[in-house]
Amino acid sequence: MISTYKLGTWISRFFVYLLLVILLLIVIVPVWLLLVNGTRSTAEINQGLALLPSTHMAENYNLLLAKGLNLPQGLRNSLFLAASSTFISVYFAFVTAYGLVVYSFRGRKQISNFIVVLTMIPMQLTILGFYKFMANLGWTDTYYPLLIPLIANAGGTFFARQYLEAMVLHDLIDAARIDGAGELRIFHSVMMPLAVPGMITLGIFSFVGSWNNFFTPFIILSTRSKFTLPMLVQLMRGDAYRTEYGAIYLGLGLSLIPIILVYIFASRYIISGIAMGAIKE
Amino acid sequence: MKVAKFKKISPGYLFLLPFALGFLAFGIYPIINTFVLSFTDTTIMGGDGKFIGLANFTRLFADRVFPRAVGNTWLMWILIIIPQIGFALLLAALFTNARLNIKAVGLWRAVFYLPNLLMPAAIAALFSTLFGLYGPVNQFMVRAGFLSEAMRYMEDIGITRALVIFITWWIWFGQTMIIVMAGMTSIPLQLYEAAMVDGANAWQMFTRITLPLLKPILAFIFVTAMVGGMQMFDVPFLLTDGRGSPQNSIQTSMMLMYIKYNSPKGHIGAASAVGVVVFIMTAIVAVGIFYFLGDREKNVMKSTQKSLINQKAERPQS
Repeated sequence: MISTYKLGTWISRFFVYLLLVILLLIVIVPVWLLLVNGTRSTAEINQGLALLPSTHMAENYNLLLAKGLNLPQGLRNSLFLAASSTFISVYFAFVTAYGLVVYSFRGRKQISNFIVVLTMIPMQLTILGFYKFMANLGWTDTYYPLLIPLIANAGGTFFARQYLEAMVLHDLIDAARIDGAGELRIFHSVMMPLAVPGMITLGIFSFVGSWNNFFTPFIILSTRSKFTLPMLVQLMRGDAYRTEYGAIYLGLGLSLIPIILVYIFASRYIISGIAMGAIKE
Repeated sequence: MKVAKFKKISPGYLFLLPFALGFLAFGIYPIINTFVLSFTDTTIMGGDGKFIGLANFTRLFADRVFPRAVGNTWLMWILIIIPQIGFALLLAALFTNARLNIKAVGLWRAVFYLPNLLMPAAIAALFSTLFGLYGPVNQFMVRAGFLSEAMRYMEDIGITRALVIFITWWIWFGQTMIIVMAGMTSIPLQLYEAAMVDGANAWQMFTRITLPLLKPILAFIFVTAMVGGMQMFDVPFLLTDGRGSPQNSIQTSMMLMYIKYNSPKGHIGAASAVGVVVFIMTAIVAVGIFYFLGDREKNVMKSTQKSLINQKAERPQS
């Protein structure tokens, strides 16, 4: 009786691991092919598949630049935007969440619930009202429309509220008040140091979100030197690169590698953060 | 918790002020502005257009392009969400199963989540290259003898749609799995122990305990996925020519909105009308999902506690 139960467990375990390995391959193989092909010459790529890197990366890189694609500039633009977005999102999300968690005032609960509802509004569908507004302000083809609206970032605020609610702050805040600290000072010097892990988690999500964002910059920006990496990816789909597969793969790979590196070092923060944004405790 | 009374206005309001201003300017105003623009004939070059009533909307519904784009979006979304939630539930159940005791759960989860962080634009461009006429997939299929000659995958409606569905599933299944798993681990073990004492099998426990208690989480996943799905753009835009070829079969609502905006004259008014209709449709469906699956604010623990109480009340009778 016990041995058939054990045998059954072993058999099901075998099929489960088989499923997991298949899914693992489905996830890894496309990314691996992309990275490997970025190091192979177009001739090699045309000869067939390979799972090991070759030696033509520099050649592909030069080819990419020679066709007029300013990849270093795109990388700098994306980095600048992602870093600024991260700073603005995280700071203001925690400011708002702090107001909601620490103080009691009329309408606090309603505002908290309202922010949850806001996370679900399909804002990209109102891009044209946004675009026209930006045009009237003279902000099209600048980075302001990609940064300033992050002051009111509902998803980040929701996350920060979940995070602050789980921390016991009130005693510390009362102690600081007795010492005569002002409310803003308490926020900056008592709460912020304690909330660093939460800020890092939210920061990673903000960074990745900005890095990968294609649609809004695509609508707002028109000068090539201001383009971000996803927009350069779109340009690479054009005719100049149609047959230069090695260069295309390398360009795509370079836009993924920074995020993969961040993930390798910070996956723990990231995975605990996803669950936190979704579940109220 | 009462705050000192030295100020009439709670400092809480001051902390909310930046968000409130930002939201009014960049959240509310663009929504209103989009609705207003949809009643005008505004173009990019022409400055502010004049009021033309419902003309944009009547034109939109008279044209078969719009219903087709909305239909494409719904079709692809439904075919994405089924495997997305299916795999998430399956993997989460396997990973939390004590009998199977899967090793290195953290590592598997981390790998399955990776696609969610990668740039959708780059992934779409990658698959477009992989499935190109001279791409690696054709090389493999021809050399392995599955195909006698290279195939033009991107000229086949079924294959192109399947690719959009596969890529989006690939990006999202790991993320959904992690949310479902967090929901499952917050279900108290006593429930399962009690069910085991009563002689329930694994399937009964899954359908009678796990699924009902996951309802709030599933509602959240459905609504966020639907809101995201109705705004599907990057993957179908970059997979083929940006207009939804072959034969507009992967042209989504958002792509149609972009095409109208990007037309030679830049019809912002007509494009806004697309945004308005899809916006209203999305809102109605979201409210509907919450209505049928229970609202989001009811958290898992609360419903769990409730069912625990119910269970205690029902016990003596069973």
